[in-house]
Amino acid sequence: MERGHWRLNLIANGSDRILIGKEQRKRAKELAKQYGFLPYMIERYIALWGEQEAIQFLEACEQPIKKSIRLNTLRATAEETLSRLKAKGVRLEKVPWLDTGYIADFSRISPGSLLEHMRGFYYVQGVPSMTVAEALSPQPDSLVVDMAAAPGGKTTHMAQMMNNSGVIVSIEQDRLRTASLESNIHRCGVTNSIVLRGDSRNLDQLGIAPDYILLDAPCSGEGLIALDPPRKRSKSMADIRFCATKQDVLLDAAITALAPGGTLVYSTCSIAPEENEFVIDNLLKRRPETRIAPINTEFGIPAYPNPYGVELHESLTLARRFLPHKHNLEGFFICRIEKEESS
Amino acid sequence: MKPEHVDLIQWDTVKNQIDSDFGAGVTKRILGTLTPVSLPRGKGISFYLIPPNWLQILDRDFKSFTPLSLGLWLGDLVEGKFKLSLPALERVQEYTSNRLIVSRHGAESFTYGRSILKESVIKIEPSLLRGQRVLILNESSECLGLAALSVDAYKIGRLAKDRLVAKNLVDIGWYIRRLS
Repeated sequence: MERGHWRLNLIANGSDRILIGKEQRKRAKELAKQYGFLPYMIERYIALWGEQEAIQFLEACEQPIKKSIRLNTLRATAEETLSRLKAKGVRLEKVPWLDTGYIADFSRISPGSLLEHMRGFYYVQGVPSMTVAEALSPQPDSLVVDMAAAPGGKTTHMAQMMNNSGVIVSIEQDRLRTASLESNIHRCGVTNSIVLRGDSRNLDQLGIAPDYILLDAPCSGEGLIALDPPRKRSKSMADIRFCATKQDVLLDAAITALAPGGTLVYSTCSIAPEENEFVIDNLLKRRPETRIAPINTEFGIPAYPNPYGVELHESLTLARRFLPHKHNLEGFFICRIEKEESS
Repeated sequence: MKPEHVDLIQWDTVKNQIDSDFGAGVTKRILGTLTPVSLPRGKGISFYLIPPNWLQILDRDFKSFTPLSLGLWLGDLVEGKFKLSLPALERVQEYTSNRLIVSRHGAESFTYGRSILKESVIKIEPSLLRGQRVLILNESSECLGLAALSVDAYKIGRLAKDRLVAKNLVDIGWYIRRLS
């Protein structure tokens, strides 16, 4: 299949059907019934991974995901927080590729109820979300934009990486979610952030040229089924298509604003190639000043350069994926993109 | 709505209130090298402290974006009364003796929004008077919030253990309760 014709095959003709055989479609229907998913989802999983791996994914979606926390070094040293949590019976296991990320077993304690949480010593955050800020690694004193910032996990993480220097412009459109964003910024002792309510698609209106942009894009949430079981039946292919269109526009706004030589990290909590690899492949075609850059941290698996058999840009293997059935984590996609110095 | 230089009359109100609550010169000390700016918010005005090199932000046109906060949140002025923010309380802690240290049980109750009873009081500066603002600290001197004394400190020893000593004005549990 020619590169870039995925929309024709996957979305056009009003069918939204992945090209799988009749037998597989029948099997997809059975699995959909067994696991409580919508059939179109299973058809896509089978087309993407084959039946065996699709079943592994479905099984993984039935398993709980372990809680994890990020130690906030703006408020206390890692040693102090670790020692206090251990004294309260919290069992902690370091995430190998993260400086301050830990899998945390709070047993019967609610992670939000501890004094250390109220004082901002730690932030309850999924491992993939922590990895996103790590993939961007904003340097101290730089100008950073967080384009979809609520509830603030990534803004507060980046502030910690920048030791509260420079400026983070944290943008959120949803009025209610800005409350959680502000609350977490204050709790975590972040003082280098400017919180704006507005639509990040209008980022160019601000007239700034950020060194770094984090776009954890609004998505269909197909990677969060283990945390949100109703997601098995709540979203249609039209929703995925709607998200992909919005992601295209957000990415364009980000690339336009990004300083020449600047770095963008694009992430979603979706496992759908339609919101990830295809979106990035389209960006590379639309915006020749961009290229995918390697992430200097070893985690997950490489993203797919030919999902559903569609040949996409080969550099997509530099992007990374977390998958529930391979990593016991939420499904996530993380891609680091650089803008040419001369653009 | 955009951040602005502080109105000098309003800023005097803020400064006088902080200094009268926590001691002369405390406002100047918590400012350090930071500059106060204001941002209209609801019925009141929020005050933030920013580094001087951020002042150019004040000239910026945010167009369709609405600034909600920037830098360190100092507090809010509503109908002539200034309320210090939780992040600012920790800065105040370094410069004031208005402190009430409470027991573990009292600390826990306080972070659930409760007020301080006599039985929770571990230590207080005896010269503090009824109505004064006091920082509530746990036995490890961690700031848990702000309260208003409901009795002169030197009289606390005479109270029954279930009597109110300090009314909760704000506590760090607010961060969590606000989101629930």
